Amino acid sequence: MLILSLPPKQPLIIMNEDIIKLTHLTKRYGYGDTESFALKDFNLTIKRGEFIMIMGPSGCGKTTLLNIIGLLDRATSGEYLLNGESVANISARRQARLRAKKIGFIFQNFNLIEDLPILENVALPLVYVGYPRTVRLKSASNALSRFHLQEKEYYHPSQLSGGQQQRAAIARAIVADPEIILADEPTGNLDSRASSIVMEELKAIHAEGNTIIMVTHNPALTTYATRVINMLDGSIATDIKTVSDQNLPKSSTSKSKKRKKSPKTTKSAKTRRKK
Amino acid sequence: MSLLFRTHLSLACASIRENRTRSFLTCLGIAIGIASIILILSLTGSISHLISREIKDVGANLIVVRPSSTKDAVTSLVGELTGTNSYQTSNLSLSDIQALSQVPGVTAVAPISLSAHTITDENNTIASATILGTTPDFTAINPLTLRYGSFISNDNKSNSVVIGHMLSLLLFNTSNPVGRTLTFQGQRFIVIGVLEEIKDYINFNNIDYDHALIMDLEALAAITGDPQIQQINVRTATTGHLATIAGDIKSVITTNHSGDTNFTVSYGDAITHPASNLLNIISGILAIVAGISLVVGGIGVMNIMLVSVAERTHEIGIRKSVGASSHAILLQFMLEALILSMFGGFMGVVLGYILAFLFSIITPFTPYISWQILLVTFLTSIVVGIIFGTYPALKAASKNPIESLKHYR
Repeated sequence: MLILSLPPKQPLIIMNEDIIKLTHLTKRYGYGDTESFALKDFNLTIKRGEFIMIMGPSGCGKTTLLNIIGLLDRATSGEYLLNGESVANISARRQARLRAKKIGFIFQNFNLIEDLPILENVALPLVYVGYPRTVRLKSASNALSRFHLQEKEYYHPSQLSGGQQQRAAIARAIVADPEIILADEPTGNLDSRASSIVMEELKAIHAEGNTIIMVTHNPALTTYATRVINMLDGSIATDIKTVSDQNLPKSSTSKSKKRKKSPKTTKSAKTRRKK
Repeated sequence: MSLLFRTHLSLACASIRENRTRSFLTCLGIAIGIASIILILSLTGSISHLISREIKDVGANLIVVRPSSTKDAVTSLVGELTGTNSYQTSNLSLSDIQALSQVPGVTAVAPISLSAHTITDENNTIASATILGTTPDFTAINPLTLRYGSFISNDNKSNSVVIGHMLSLLLFNTSNPVGRTLTFQGQRFIVIGVLEEIKDYINFNNIDYDHALIMDLEALAAITGDPQIQQINVRTATTGHLATIAGDIKSVITTNHSGDTNFTVSYGDAITHPASNLLNIISGILAIVAGISLVVGGIGVMNIMLVSVAERTHEIGIRKSVGASSHAILLQFMLEALILSMFGGFMGVVLGYILAFLFSIITPFTPYISWQILLVTFLTSIVVGIIFGTYPALKAASKNPIESLKHYR
């Protein structure tokens, strides 16, 4: 029973099955002699509910791709449609809002704020979504208990093991109930036991209908994915779907159930209007 | 928006608490600047307060005629500072006094002519005693308490003087020299009165009575030639027609001066204004010093905020990646700078008043507290916070999230 106190996910204005669509995307670094391409004429369509693993050698543009999808970076040219809307037309302010509400980031080095306790770290995206403090902390607490960290709420990141920190980071990524989870080598700094726990958590999140895009170097993890993409020099080398589009988990049923249970219907109506 | 504001407020407080020593030292920089402003405002406030109280005591029916300065501001400022020009050149004359006493509604006219001369008795010599040339009317306008003897009158004004308490001690080594004689410019004078010791050094006549020798202006003129009259105090019968009488006085003197209007006629609160030029200059210079220290304090805030931004680059990266807009980051660091400077301002107010009270122990000033002073310092610290917090906050807000995430402490 995750995130009971959170307002439910809002229905999309355009229910687009293609949640992410990248066409002719190019990312160039430097000019002239120093010019190099992290992404070169990159085309990719991601459907709602996919669990994508992106593999490839270092420097092939995996992280750049994630940063662009996560609205932290801009492509030099090409088009990026997020839920059918061109990202180029979204203001920086709304992009930040989208990062808080629709996108969850998981990093290799966890990226938790050392000065804040785990609870506040997890609640961080909700600050920028704009919830009051009590709601924030309650949601964060719920998210943490899902990852069996409820006893560690007031610990600081440095007091936790790597696996625990990464679970806290995942809790932060899902606390605002986003649609897309972007994971950049989430198991890169973990031992095999901790990484299998993390992968099971990601699998569970995926089963609820979330779209996950994960970069990894570990071929053993591809068993979790519904689609495996191999990248080379800024473009796709191979693209294999292991699960057909029809069999992807659907989010609508489970989420609508949750919505009925939520007591905060007025709040959700308000946020919906804002959008 | 208000929610984000509150969150950032607690964040900023947490961050300031975390670096307690650093924040305290930064605040101290601001506090010193604010404290000096408080000190100056409280002292100048106290002085004008004192003078307006004195004028209230003297009575509202007072008109003061002063010569306009014939020198430009810079020359007189240099003169004031070097002490060469304590008694400025005047264009008021003895005939003006005669003319003024004829103006209807005027009950008393007392000129003030200050000069410095050597006076001697059998044993002691005072090199430059303050000589106040006036008329017996002086006490009618400015009641002076005498410790011994009496004030000069029309009967004895040609050879009698009244001296201040300290001058009496210096010259005669006694507090009661009534009846003894002193020599001034070869002329002998009888001391007929000694003033009570005066605690308030500040008065609208700008006279240090304790060290002064008071004598009749005509007697003074007979010895030293044409005396310089720095001020003429005029008392009127009623308080009702000050403006018309002031107008009459103006026209009388203008006629007397064959058309020149190189003097000012003031009454009411305007009298307090040029109470002491020197004091104004000193407080002006102090204000400049306070302003400079405030700027230095502000630079301290900016410096610490830049350090804070650099230290927390990684945090900024994380915040941006989980959805903080540049605006939100700007607000966060702006608030932190504002809290620093406002806390410094608060410390400065406390420090400033402590200093002002300490200062009042050794001087006749009493610290003057008003809500205007508090408002001015409060606004000043806010302005300093905004001015010096903007650049670091902008720097924080413009950080690239990807670069920031790679940044480690």
